Amino acid sequence: MTPQAALHDDIFRTYLYIVLAILGVAGVVLSVLRFGLKKEIRSVWLTYRSWLMMAPLIFGSIFAGRIVVIVFFCVLAGLAFKEFARATGLYRDWWTTGAVYLGIIAVGITCLMRQPQGEESGAGWYNLFIVLPIFAVALIFLIPIVRNEVKGQLQTVALAIVGFIYIGWMFGHLAFLANSRYAYGYLLYVLFATEINDVAAFTFGKLFGKRKFRSNISPKKTWAGSLGALGVSMALPWLLHFSFPHFGAVQLILAGLIVGLGGQLGDLAISVIKRDIGIKDMGANIPGHGGILDRIDSLIYVAPLFFHMANYFYPMR
Amino acid sequence: MNSWKYEPVADLDKSLADRLRSFPREPDLTVYAARSFAALVIRSWLRIYHRLEIIGAENLPAEGSFVLVANHSSHLDTLCLLSALPLRKLHRAFPAAAQDYFFVNIPRLAIAAVVVNALPFGRQAHIRQSLGLCRHLLANPGNILILFPEGTRTATGEIGTFKPGIGHLVAGTTIPVVPCHLNGAYAAWPKGSAIPKPAKIRLRIGKPMNFESITADRDGLGQICTQLRDAVVALGRQ
Repeated sequence: MTPQAALHDDIFRTYLYIVLAILGVAGVVLSVLRFGLKKEIRSVWLTYRSWLMMAPLIFGSIFAGRIVVIVFFCVLAGLAFKEFARATGLYRDWWTTGAVYLGIIAVGITCLMRQPQGEESGAGWYNLFIVLPIFAVALIFLIPIVRNEVKGQLQTVALAIVGFIYIGWMFGHLAFLANSRYAYGYLLYVLFATEINDVAAFTFGKLFGKRKFRSNISPKKTWAGSLGALGVSMALPWLLHFSFPHFGAVQLILAGLIVGLGGQLGDLAISVIKRDIGIKDMGANIPGHGGILDRIDSLIYVAPLFFHMANYFYPMR
Repeated sequence: MNSWKYEPVADLDKSLADRLRSFPREPDLTVYAARSFAALVIRSWLRIYHRLEIIGAENLPAEGSFVLVANHSSHLDTLCLLSALPLRKLHRAFPAAAQDYFFVNIPRLAIAAVVVNALPFGRQAHIRQSLGLCRHLLANPGNILILFPEGTRTATGEIGTFKPGIGHLVAGTTIPVVPCHLNGAYAAWPKGSAIPKPAKIRLRIGKPMNFESITADRDGLGQICTQLRDAVVALGRQ
């Protein structure tokens, strides 16, 4: 992945055109609704405006190359973990949050480094990346032991482990995808399809949604939204087949299921956390979306599942 | 089974800009780390590029709250004063910074809130409120307030008159006020100049002063301002 490679890569360029077209059309439609027909669509408008910031950031980092992609996703993981820590109150424990930050830095380093000895093809230290949770859990448990503290430590340790494994490491799979020989296709498919899945769930829910899906967890989710999104996501891999021309029917179906089901499960998983704490959003960093964690929640589920599915059938590197 | 007790931060629903703008700030690991790192870079920069010389650091009170007061001629002033403090006191030092200048856009906010740990001081409006914030800070032991009583950077290099706000804070209290004089900062980076020039800067720290016996009336405040200004000017003559 280099800027030159991105310029000459058909997959990168095609996704760029698709996203430009979608943002352009959406901009025109929303402008007509808002300024022409004077409809009250402020929240959707805010969401759209934030996409105008996020899309260039994502494409810019993928264009800039492997190192930038890895740093970008690790910084994102760090910021998302910070929101989680602020929301749960874990953030007052500096030693434990520091350990999780260290773990996220380790995710970045294993993505960037080559395996120092032995045989492993391609960039990235895959074997260490995959076993990082072991070291992270060991490090996190070390903290109450070294500080000789007991009170409330199970909660602290548990929150930190969830924070690292779920937000740091599982999301960190996106960073490792940059080492794949199919990096452009995989990364862009995962990001694009997951966000389309989110948008589809929202749209189908708004248009046809009646029956609540998981009323305790997320009162706005409906069966219509979920099934509609699943349908869209099942169709996407076939439409975007150019992203992974080596995929057969089985892989395409799996890619669709992972995004269609995983995306919504990821969304609900973060909602479970939020409802248990009793908050609406994880933060307020992205106008119209909530926090960073609210935006990347679906990716946390999709990225590792897609990664290991693809790696199982076609070794990535 | 007992359910867990979560304690979300109070400003969870605030955007980054609003969080940077709010005061007092919640202690934050990443902010402290960034501030400490920035302080190391700034200290090296001042020592090398401006050959910063600090005279009288032993006059700084070792514990308890105190106020640092200095003449104001450049943006470098705050950085020089912060550099005179030990690193572990960095996060307890609050330079009062003009709200209308530093707390407007994200880049300045980031510098004010993260690097400098500034206290937003309303110069035109909310003066009473800002002084309240200062008083609140000084009531907690171990806080350091950095004030430029002239209220703005000098346009000519001369030391202007001191505004009475400082008097309101310390009249009739035991809070020590440490007068400081900065020499060379005006030549290095005067108001209106884009890039600092490599001029030498000398910071003289005077003996702490105490205004316990002075009352907070018009005469008292004037007296405090004159005494402090004289002390700063005298340090400059040494």
